[in-house]
Amino acid sequence: MSVILRIEDIECSYGAVKVLRGLTFSIESGSFTGIIGPNGSGKSTLLKSLSRVLKPAKGAVLLNEENLYNLDTREVAKKMAVVPQETAVNFSFTVKDVVIMGRSPHLGRFQSEGKKDFEAARLAMELTGTGHLADRLITAVSGGERQRVIIAKALAQEPKIILLDEPTSHLDINHQIEILSLLKSLNRENNLTIIAVFHDLNLAAQYCDRLILMKSGLVFTMGDPAEVLTADNIKQVYGASVLIRKHPVTGQPSIILLAQDAQAAVKKSRVHVICGGGAGAAVLGLLAGHGYEVSAGVLNSGDIDWETANFLGIQLAEEIPFLPISERSHNENIKLINEAAACILANIPFGRGNLKNLEAVSLALEQSKPVLIIEETDIEERDFTGGKAASLYNGLKEKGAVVLREKILVLDWLQDSLSNTR
Amino acid sequence: MSEQGCSRKPELSQDGELKAVQFRPKQAVSSLDAEQRSQAGFNTMDDSVNNLCANEFAPTKISYGHVYWRFLVNSYDERVWRWRALIFILLAVLGLTVLLCATIGPARIGFGEVLTMLLRRLPWAGSLIPRGDWPDNYETIVLQMRLSRVILAALVGAGLAASGVVLQGLLLNPMADPYILGISQGAALGATAAMLSGISMQVLGIYAVPLVAFAAGLGTSIMVYNLARVGHKVQMSTLLLAGIAVGLFLSAITSYAMITSGQNVHQILFWMIGGFAGRGWDHVKVLLPYIFIGYTLMHLSARKLNVILLGEEPAQHLGIDVEKMKKVLLVAATLTTASAVAVSGVIAFVGLIVPHAVRLMVGPDHRVLLPTAALTGAIFLIMADALARVAAAPEEIPVGIITALCGGPFFIYLLRKKNDPGF
Repeated sequence: MSVILRIEDIECSYGAVKVLRGLTFSIESGSFTGIIGPNGSGKSTLLKSLSRVLKPAKGAVLLNEENLYNLDTREVAKKMAVVPQETAVNFSFTVKDVVIMGRSPHLGRFQSEGKKDFEAARLAMELTGTGHLADRLITAVSGGERQRVIIAKALAQEPKIILLDEPTSHLDINHQIEILSLLKSLNRENNLTIIAVFHDLNLAAQYCDRLILMKSGLVFTMGDPAEVLTADNIKQVYGASVLIRKHPVTGQPSIILLAQDAQAAVKKSRVHVICGGGAGAAVLGLLAGHGYEVSAGVLNSGDIDWETANFLGIQLAEEIPFLPISERSHNENIKLINEAAACILANIPFGRGNLKNLEAVSLALEQSKPVLIIEETDIEERDFTGGKAASLYNGLKEKGAVVLREKILVLDWLQDSLSNTR
Repeated sequence: MSEQGCSRKPELSQDGELKAVQFRPKQAVSSLDAEQRSQAGFNTMDDSVNNLCANEFAPTKISYGHVYWRFLVNSYDERVWRWRALIFILLAVLGLTVLLCATIGPARIGFGEVLTMLLRRLPWAGSLIPRGDWPDNYETIVLQMRLSRVILAALVGAGLAASGVVLQGLLLNPMADPYILGISQGAALGATAAMLSGISMQVLGIYAVPLVAFAAGLGTSIMVYNLARVGHKVQMSTLLLAGIAVGLFLSAITSYAMITSGQNVHQILFWMIGGFAGRGWDHVKVLLPYIFIGYTLMHLSARKLNVILLGEEPAQHLGIDVEKMKKVLLVAATLTTASAVAVSGVIAFVGLIVPHAVRLMVGPDHRVLLPTAALTGAIFLIMADALARVAAAPEEIPVGIITALCGGPFFIYLLRKKNDPGF
């Protein structure tokens, strides 16, 4: 693949504020590049300087090795089309009028549209599935349809590159997917180079083959989505804690947000959560996000709760995958419970392997520690020990464990019970 | 019929079956070749497209093939013919209006007589037409007095309406009119100064007021333009506000000058409302080149002006040098308006209402909007001027009063009739 757009050390400023502070990268022909970064990192400004709207104060943008700002506006428009975030429509042109405006760079001052132009407009409308809208007023189509019409207009330009500024941020998810899939197919089938600013990291990961992560006017890092979208990078650039998982179908990274609280900075008491298999991840995240010091046990390494706990930096009692709880890990678990101010039992299923967890909770009750049971499904449905677990479980209730059916109430309960003990 | 079939029932494609096709073009968009796109080519494209789809996210779309393609081209041809027909009809109406309004006045001269007088003026065939039995001075009345006035009204009406269309489009503001850049207030101040001083009268004669008004109007708009300019770029919203601010400032000076002078106030007021009393062929000769050049510049930019309606940045992305366009169009509109003001005073409402009314009827495409608005403006102002002459005869009402009295209610009627008055 050859380089179609080369950005050499560009700097842009609005007045005294320097928005871009020296970016260098190149875009290969036929690539699908996503530009991501927090608000104010200069994404849209970058797109403006790439689209010949905002001339960089320093550095150069080279289109096919020619300086973009030395080329004629019309010449650039023949090679590059731009799709804005949203197009204001306060005029009653029909859809086909708008699409055929895309032919403007190909027409001279005294020229009007000819057969070739109608053909290009028709093909663009066919590709974007807007043919049936041809005679509707642009003011009378939905947001998703309108964005498809604007893309059709861009395609009618017959460009080599399309620049998009958050093309789907005002659309519903079905339209987001529809439009991005359309772009992806144009990218693959027609070798169209696509550069798009994204707000939504998951969409960017899903559709781009290359990402440029920006932070305060500089390229923080770039590369393929898996390289760029790491929890560490996102923490550093966005200042947000996230979990990165592999998308089960596409294999691309997929970002899961963690709830955060303003009080998170204040350290609160230690809470021990008994969980496993994913039943406790939400509670772990919730507690950690609200500033509690959390421990967990007994978790088989590699399971979802274990991954979550590790990510959150939670102290835990762990066991080798698929093995029942050993004496060693059981004791570790008890030790953690002893150190904690309260203990929470998540909605986990019980088999012979993890019955010891219930014993541990029972010990906590004996030490008159506040114990909470999150019961989202009845114990009978998740008892795979032939009644043993159920009797132990009901025993806990009798000994004074509090039962909650919704985990969101955990915080309230913790606040109550911990202030009482003090 | 194919139009309706296509837009309302998309599932009926030409071979009568619904084709659910995931849109994956086989050919590159960039390699358009009309020859390769036979009808057969399209069908095979639709079929082969299915095989190419490996992306699980690709949405399902219905393809219409060549059915609507033919319709697209046909309807464009059709529309161009509709536009031409409309312009032709308006030209005919304009001709009739000119003749009819040349018959209006104290001397009773009929339609036939006016027509004959005009035909006799034709270069070659004219001499073949026999002279009617009208008094000698009738020819002078029609050709020297009435006709010049009618033509002047037509030119002013066309110029103001076309300028209004362009400025409304350029500023993306339906409230814009030709005077938005402060031309009217500037010209009014110039005219007031010329009338009050009387010194310039001795040097320039009857041309004093028009010349000073023209210069002052032009100067004001240049000032407003420069106020709104930052570097090479002109912010249209700033232009609008600068126009209002400068206009208010200048009209305050005019009012002060009028109040303190104690004389000629009636004459100044008359000029400021606008009218064609006492104007002749000299004025037409002065005005014609400006209107012609101004209108031609606007007309040549009509297609690009459409694109500017999408917004300045999108227009730039479509290869239009927006800043240059703005300059050209502002110069055209300013010259047209300033010259119109110079000969006729400040005639309000024509440049605001005619563009709107015509846009409501023919749509936003400037290639048809501009000529139809110019013609409609011409017809409207001729009629308004005729009414101004006869309504309170033998006294004359300033035509600006008539335009406002007719234009206002008619515009409200149009707004109520059509719910969406936007562009």
